[in-house]
Amino acid sequence: MAVVVVISGFIVAAAVAADVEIVKSGSGDKLPIDISELKVPMSASGALFRKILKDDLVNSGWFTVTDPKGSPLVVSGTADLDSSVASVSCDVTHRGISKNYMNQRITEKPDQVRRLAHRLSDSIVESVKQVKGMAASRIAFIGKVDGAKDLYVCDADGGNLIRLTQQRSPCLGPAWWPDGSKLLYMSFHRGFPDVYMIDLSTNRRTVLAAYPGLNSGGDVSADGRRVVMTLSKDGNPELYVLHVDENRLVRLTQTPKVTEASPSWSPDGREIVFVSNRTGPPQLHILNPDGGEPRQITYRGSENVAPDWGLNGRIVFTSRRDGRYVICVFDQTENTNEPVATDGADYEDPSWAPDGRHVVCARTERYQTSLYVVDTQGDAPRKLTTAKGDWYSPACSAQ
Amino acid sequence: MLLECGSGESEVDMMGSSFLKLLVTCSLVLGVMAGSGCRGFFTKKPGSSKAGKLPGEEIVVPEKQGGEEQVSLPERVDAGARITNVVFDSVLFDYDGFKIRDSEVDKMEKVAKFLKQSADVLLVVEGNCDERGSAEYNMALGEHRALAVRAYLVNIGVPASRVQTKSFGEEKPVDPAHAESAWRLNRRADFAFYRQ
Repeated sequence: MAVVVVISGFIVAAAVAADVEIVKSGSGDKLPIDISELKVPMSASGALFRKILKDDLVNSGWFTVTDPKGSPLVVSGTADLDSSVASVSCDVTHRGISKNYMNQRITEKPDQVRRLAHRLSDSIVESVKQVKGMAASRIAFIGKVDGAKDLYVCDADGGNLIRLTQQRSPCLGPAWWPDGSKLLYMSFHRGFPDVYMIDLSTNRRTVLAAYPGLNSGGDVSADGRRVVMTLSKDGNPELYVLHVDENRLVRLTQTPKVTEASPSWSPDGREIVFVSNRTGPPQLHILNPDGGEPRQITYRGSENVAPDWGLNGRIVFTSRRDGRYVICVFDQTENTNEPVATDGADYEDPSWAPDGRHVVCARTERYQTSLYVVDTQGDAPRKLTTAKGDWYSPACSAQ
Repeated sequence: MLLECGSGESEVDMMGSSFLKLLVTCSLVLGVMAGSGCRGFFTKKPGSSKAGKLPGEEIVVPEKQGGEEQVSLPERVDAGARITNVVFDSVLFDYDGFKIRDSEVDKMEKVAKFLKQSADVLLVVEGNCDERGSAEYNMALGEHRALAVRAYLVNIGVPASRVQTKSFGEEKPVDPAHAESAWRLNRRADFAFYRQ
């Protein structure tokens, strides 16, 4: 059994704010939505539920939560949070044109009020905007607290922070299994860099790769059956695919004198984007795991590293431009490669949120590193981690 | 010191000071769910004679790993047998590079001489990077540095079976300052010796 510490940076607000604003931001007009007609219990859990729903809707980037008079979009219904099952039955309607966007009942375990609110927010986003939300995603990352590095997870709003390991040794790069049940990460727990799999329901860890030399940089394919990682067991860091069910290892690259790192699967599992210095400074390349020559996709910037291939087909990565690290998005169809957030700080290690709009990354300013949610459509970056420490290497779960 | 890897001190004090500090530093503690305690021991890895203790976490090591690929680096050393009183100068590297500089050759010649005189000693070359760049890329770069030193040693007659590599990436700086004066010292390969 695991020892799990649950921490929350949230102070529960008892009142529901009712700001009226039609926001024109970098991401364009936002839809005003009214949640005051959603009945919640007069309890702490009711206040928490309403606050989280409101924050999630705002954080989705698509809405402003307004007072009743200002909004044509109305969320109505009832949340039952203090029974043996937490549930919410809810409609989303348009006052003016009497259109019903959504009529849905969502249930969760009674101690999962936060998750219930996150899922409701995602349902509202999906039914009104026809795009996925990110509120129910979980974020895995590395925390360094008092010099000790460990693996943590939190919700997409920064709440529900849980430490998963207590190894106090360097660890790197968590990656989710597609169903969100397990995580992959590299750790020096046993003195050498090994790749582990941790099952979140039992906290049981399994060694996936502990060969002589380097074992690092894993990513799991969308079918959950293949793990790509960097191993040096054959005398040089190279990319390998581990077929997990068969425990079979296949070598992908054969490049003495060249470094391969940070592989990430395409959503269809047919290609892998990775970092290589085969043409000089580290740049992004794409290879087909079944064979063929890799092709280089980035040229600008003195360094292009840490790619994450999103479900939307776009690749987000870190680029060094004019001495700063910035987040860039590579779009294969348009062959564009544009920086997202630039405010003088360093942004690194991006991971797509499941909404395909936001990116969670590590932002460093004056040698302090925190996780931020960056909007590729232009809203201001939002700080995710408030607890004392340095927070790096985020990875967002698919749901 | 953050790292105690390789010293045989991988046990973690479950309710030790850092655990309590973490609780204090976080803004609001909602609850602590303690499981059945620290009964977890990871199973022994084949070839390893020492098992470490884990705080309530069980590690499963499959008996056999991978396919039929030939392993060309030697098996890992027993982390308990570290020799701490033998220290050699670290080999330094250029930024984002792992080529051996002429200035570093003598350091490796001395190590080779020591290994020749000490038949029962194994060497782990530990590759390190400065803090700039991505942590994962630096893991691979650090391994390249360690492998470059290993290749040099093997080339001048040290048996390949006596030299292993380990990368710490940017995780183990000798100087934590954020300046070139520190970075040039952190781009290095250290020599760690073990009793066979």
